[in-house]
Amino acid sequence: MIAMHGVSKVFRTDLVETHALRDFDLEVAPGEFVAVTGPSGSGKTTFLNVAGLLEEFSGSYRLDGRDVGHLSDDERSRIRNEKIGFVFQSFNLIPDLSVYDNLDVPLWYRRIPAAERRRRIMTTLERVGLAARSKHIPAQLSGGQQQRAAIARALAGDPCVILADEPTGNLDSVMSGQVMDLFEEIHRAGATIVMVTHNLELVRRAQRHVQIADGQLIDVGLQQAVTFDGAAVQA
Amino acid sequence: MLWHDVRQAWWSFRRSPWLTVLIIGAMAAGIGASLITLTLYHARAGNPIWWKNDRLFAVTLDNRLADPKSDGNSRHPEYPPFMLTWRDAQAIYRSDIPVRSAKMFASGRVIDPQRPGVPMFRAATRVTSADFFAMFDVPFLYGTGWPRTADETPEPVVVISRAINDRVFGGADSVGRSINVSGRQFRVVGVIDRWMPQPRFYDLSRAFDPSEGLFLPFGWTTAWELPAAGPIRCLSNDQVGSFKEMLAAECVWLQVWVELASDEQRARYQQFLDNYVREQKEAGRFPRPLNNRLADVATWLDMNDVVGDKSRILVAVALLFLVVCVLNTLGLMLARFLGAAPISGLRRALGATRRDIVRQHLTEVMLMGLIGGIAGLGLAKAGLWLLHVLLFLPMARQSINPQAQTLAHSMTHLDGLMVLAALAISLIAGLLAGWYPAWRIGRLQPASFLKSQ
Repeated sequence: MIAMHGVSKVFRTDLVETHALRDFDLEVAPGEFVAVTGPSGSGKTTFLNVAGLLEEFSGSYRLDGRDVGHLSDDERSRIRNEKIGFVFQSFNLIPDLSVYDNLDVPLWYRRIPAAERRRRIMTTLERVGLAARSKHIPAQLSGGQQQRAAIARALAGDPCVILADEPTGNLDSVMSGQVMDLFEEIHRAGATIVMVTHNLELVRRAQRHVQIADGQLIDVGLQQAVTFDGAAVQA
Repeated sequence: MLWHDVRQAWWSFRRSPWLTVLIIGAMAAGIGASLITLTLYHARAGNPIWWKNDRLFAVTLDNRLADPKSDGNSRHPEYPPFMLTWRDAQAIYRSDIPVRSAKMFASGRVIDPQRPGVPMFRAATRVTSADFFAMFDVPFLYGTGWPRTADETPEPVVVISRAINDRVFGGADSVGRSINVSGRQFRVVGVIDRWMPQPRFYDLSRAFDPSEGLFLPFGWTTAWELPAAGPIRCLSNDQVGSFKEMLAAECVWLQVWVELASDEQRARYQQFLDNYVREQKEAGRFPRPLNNRLADVATWLDMNDVVGDKSRILVAVALLFLVVCVLNTLGLMLARFLGAAPISGLRRALGATRRDIVRQHLTEVMLMGLIGGIAGLGLAKAGLWLLHVLLFLPMARQSINPQAQTLAHSMTHLDGLMVLAALAISLIAGLLAGWYPAWRIGRLQPASFLKSQ
C-alpha cells in the first residue's frame, strides 16, 4: 500500500539546514495497522506529511501502486482526497460547520453527487455512533465525539490508507479508549492504518510498530512497545 | 459549485462578523463617494443627443480682430468665438446645403396667464427658427413646431413647454388657444413634452440651465427688437447704442446649428462657409486666417469645457479615495484570510485544489464587494439627497423657470447606468482587493497549519 524508499526531506532556512527525514524506507502492506513512535523532533510528523502528500520530498514513494513522487499540486490534492484519510491530534474539524457538513467537505471536493454523499455520510456517522449528532457543531461535542467525527470524515471517503497523527493526544483515558476501540474496529474491517502515537496502549493494539529517530526508521517489529523517551522495550 | 462557495462565504462572514462589517463598510464608503461624484459628473458630461452626434454641427466663424490681445483671457485662443454676429447668422442661414438649420438666441418675455389667481410671470424664452424642433428631436405633447413661413412674417405663434402649459392652461391641450406674451396675443401651435437636454448643448452660455419655456419665431427679433438674455461680446470698438446698431456691429450673440446628412454635405457646407468668409475678407472683415469650424455635439461640448477641470479633479479625488478604500480592504482581506488559513490548510489536506481555495475566497470577496456596492448605493443615494436638499433645490427655487426644480432633481438622480456602474465598481473593487489575498492563501502549504488548527 505504502512503499517509501530513500525518501528525504530537508528544511532550509538562510542559516540552518534540517534533515527531517533521511533515506527513509518503509513498506506498509494493505490492511496493516502500523504504529509509528519516536521522540519529539525525530521526524514523525514530517513522515506523516510526506506520506499524506502534504510536503514535497525527494526519493521514491508509491502509494497504492502509483508513483506519487512527481505529481502536480492538483494531482496530489486529488490523491489526498481519494486515497488518504487524515486523523489529527487536535481533530481539525471546521468549527462553524456541523458534523454532517464537516464530513461533506472532502466528498464535495471529489464532486460526488449529493445523494451519494448523503448516503455515505449517514452510513459513516452510524458506524462511529454519531448519527444523532449530525447537526451539532464541534463545540457542542465532547473531545472523544469530535475525534470520532474526524475519524468518520476520514472514513467517509473510503480511502486506501488512514494516516493518524496522535489521535488520542488530546483525549482523557476514557475517550482514548473509545477512540482506540474504533481504530481497532476499522482495522478489523480491512483498513490500512498508519498512526503516529505516544500512546503505549495504541502501540500494543497495532500489528506492527516502527520507530523514527533522527529522521530514519528503526523497525522494531511486532509485539514490542516503546517508552515515552522513544526507547524500545519488550512488551 | 457557486452555491457551495456562497455557503462557505456565509460561514466565513459569521466567523468574523466585525471584520466583515469593517471590510464592507470600507468598500461602501469608497463606492458611495465615487458614485456621488460620478453621478454629478455624468449629469454634466453626457452627450444629450448622442444619436445625432455625427449630423448636428455648431457653426463658428473667426471674425476676431487681427490683434491677439483683443482675445482677452481665452483658455483656447485657437477657437473662434462660439457665437455669431447678426449679419453672419443671417447670411449663412440662407444656405440650402444643410438638411435643416436653426439660428437662435436666448431672451425673456412676460406671460400673463389671464386666469384669476395666477400672476404674470417672466418666462425664459428662446427665439429661433422653425427647424429647431425637428433638428433637435424635441418631443411634443400637443401640436408641433411652426412652419418656416412663420419665421419671416413673423406670425404670432408660439411653442410652450409643458410646465407653462400646466401653469397657464391647467395642463389641457392648448393648441390653437391664445396666450398673452408681453402684452400681445399669440397662438399656441405646440406644447413640448418633458425635454431637458443636459448639458443644454444648443446654447452652452448657461450649460446647466433647463430648456426654455417659451419659443418664438425668429422674425420677432426685429419686429419686437428683442434683447438677448445671453452673453453679448463685441469684438470691435463700434459704438452700440441702439438695437439697430447692435445688428450692424461686430458683436456676437447668436447661435447657428446645422444638420448635415453626410460627409460630402459637410465638406460642401465647410466650403460654403470658407467662401463666405473670403468674401467678407474682401470687404475688410475677418482679418485672421480662415478658421471656420463645424463642431459636432461632442466636440462642441469639449470646446466649451462644459465638464470643467474642477469636476474632473473631483472625480479623480473620489476615485483616489476608492483606491485607498480598496487598498485598506486588501489589507483587511489579507488579515482575514490569513486568520482563517488553518481552515484553508485543512481543506487543502482534505482534497481541495489551489483553484478550489482561490475560487472560494474570490467568491467571498466578490460577495463582500457586492454587499459593499449595495451599501455604497445607499450611501450615494443619501449623499445625493442631501446635496439636492441643501444645494440644488434652494438654487432652483430662485429660478424663473418652473423646470428648474425638475432639473435639480435630475442632476442628483441615480439612474440605471449609475446603478450598473456601482455594481461593476463593487465587483472590480472586490476583485482588486481580494485577488492577491486569495492567491496567497492558495499558495500556502497545508502542512504548516494542520498542527496549529
